[in-house]
Amino acid sequence: MGHLLQYVLNGLARGSIYSLIALGLVVIYRGTGHLNFAQGEMALFATFGAWWINDHGVPLWLAIMIAAGGAFVVGGVIEFGLIRPAGKKSPFAVVVITIGLFQAFNSLSGLLFKGAATGLPFGTLFPNKPTDFFRLPGGAIWRYEYVGVLVTVLVITALLFLLFQKTKVGLAMRMVANNPDSAKLAGVPTNKILMLSWALSASIGAIGGCLVAGINANVNLGTMFGVFLLASAAATLGGLDSPLGAVVGGLSLGVIESLVTNYPKSWWGSTYIGADTAIAVAFLIILVVLLVRPSGLFGSTRVERV
Amino acid sequence: MPFHIRESSPLHWVLRIISVSALAALAVYIASDSAPSTLGKITEACTLAIAAVSLNLLLGFNGQISLGHSTFVGLAAFTAGYSVNAWHWNPWVSLGVACLVCFVLGLILGLPALRLKGPYLALVTLAVAFVWPTVARKFLDQTVKASTLKGMRLRPPTWTGLSNNRTDRALFLFWLAIVLLVVTYVIVRNIRKSRIGRSLVAVRDNETAAAVMGVNLAITKTVTFGISAALAGVAGWLAAAQLATLDENSFTILSSIKYLLALFLGGAATLAGPVVGAFSYFFADDLLKTNATKWDFLPGPLSKGPVASFLLGVLVIVFVFIAPYGLVGFIKLQARRVAVVIPRPLRAAPLATESTEHISPAVAGEI
Repeated sequence: MGHLLQYVLNGLARGSIYSLIALGLVVIYRGTGHLNFAQGEMALFATFGAWWINDHGVPLWLAIMIAAGGAFVVGGVIEFGLIRPAGKKSPFAVVVITIGLFQAFNSLSGLLFKGAATGLPFGTLFPNKPTDFFRLPGGAIWRYEYVGVLVTVLVITALLFLLFQKTKVGLAMRMVANNPDSAKLAGVPTNKILMLSWALSASIGAIGGCLVAGINANVNLGTMFGVFLLASAAATLGGLDSPLGAVVGGLSLGVIESLVTNYPKSWWGSTYIGADTAIAVAFLIILVVLLVRPSGLFGSTRVERV
Repeated sequence: MPFHIRESSPLHWVLRIISVSALAALAVYIASDSAPSTLGKITEACTLAIAAVSLNLLLGFNGQISLGHSTFVGLAAFTAGYSVNAWHWNPWVSLGVACLVCFVLGLILGLPALRLKGPYLALVTLAVAFVWPTVARKFLDQTVKASTLKGMRLRPPTWTGLSNNRTDRALFLFWLAIVLLVVTYVIVRNIRKSRIGRSLVAVRDNETAAAVMGVNLAITKTVTFGISAALAGVAGWLAAAQLATLDENSFTILSSIKYLLALFLGGAATLAGPVVGAFSYFFADDLLKTNATKWDFLPGPLSKGPVASFLLGVLVIVFVFIAPYGLVGFIKLQARRVAVVIPRPLRAAPLATESTEHISPAVAGEI
């Protein structure tokens, strides 16, 4: 039983990162109704940025803050310069642009950072010596690093919820998500809000990317692809327009992934158990959930008027 | 004032015959005058085009997104490769079987698609694309007991007079790819131009209205999924005919994204769009990749491999701004200034004949 607890707790740490990236997806989806395929790769680029700044002697926490700030600006610029004008042209255009960004950011990382393809060592914000862990009942251990990641993400999530629920900007964001036309009529600067959504999303993505790289102790060109897939799965599981759903979806996917990867190897009758299998199982669960609730666990169903 | 051409008028037929024979002449010219490696690339581009055409039937005309088409292509390739190598099947039989297997899987995947829309459907199909390499790996490990599966090594039949050397084989595969692409195109074209095609578009535009008008939503949507999957199977079979080896990484989500990109770049919901898009995408990618290695003006620390890939991404983004409805959409928009094809009146019930007078040039359909 002790190991079960340990796997669940480790899963929660990874899951919290998925929920962070998923939150980024949800923020954009609520504003514009688009899935941002480039979310993971934008975060990857920011993570490489943080690595580069850190490599030049800046402490890691500051480097991550700078990278997140940079991502904030880049996200806003992308919305203003690419997404907004393209959205006016054709419904397909935004999808193609996010796919183009996906490719551009991934190869730009490979272009600018030597050794990106094979991987660069990435530090962690938290103590991660072999002895840095709590002992839990039943012989399980809970590493400080996982505690740190989980707490960091929960704090960021709490701040985001405060932003959505308690501030005027958050109110405007919810209003734009709910009904863009009415929001515009009521005097909400819709364009600025959408720009802010993209900026915010890119910024929390950057933090998520740095946390993943910290856990893996490494960042390479493929780091964020799997994370992005799981995060988009988490967002869909929770309901694409529900921030709460993103958090619940992300945490549960992390736990599922951890249990499938670590636990009952004998169940599968094969030695081949990799992260892929875990993701496959997670996706199957999502398929079942979506069949019962087509708009995810917490997503709002849109009623079509005839 | 643009020039008006009536559909199926003698002039329209002349234009059609000219354009088709020009394309045929181009194919003959390429076949007679190209190195085997070039022919091989065109064959690959045809594979991409067939997959994009099949995706267009589903996404462009029926409005159901699928990121899982790489699975169908991969499944067909594996079915063909395995049945020919392990059971010594006739490759042509394996084409039929591969398509049938894909059709059935498409029908099954079409069932959840009945309840899911837009990004939710995108995610579920993405999940299928993600699961496929795991399944393929397991199949390779446990059944084939090797890390790769051999391709079909299709030999040119004797009646073609071609031998089995590299040049002749490339030539044979080139013509085979062209024929399969034309067949797939004609199938999708005929579906689109028929009553069934109009019901597909009706479902895409407004499900409720389509249902009220008597379209069976469940059957239309699942069967479209099945047919689209079967056509994607043709692409997979062709890949198995061309490639020496197949493994689980041959058909991943990235392939699905490539089909989607080819479709959108060419123009979704147009007949020629996916073909044009696939060829442009494939050769833009190929040109960038082969030329980037020669760019010595790049500063030292920049590695040359990612440059091509980066430029392709940027190119895609820039292209969307120039032609938001794809290359074919763009050409149509320009061509409309010169000439407009006025669609033939539908062979409808006699009562409806009067309305055909009022079809405006603006709604002129696909060429």
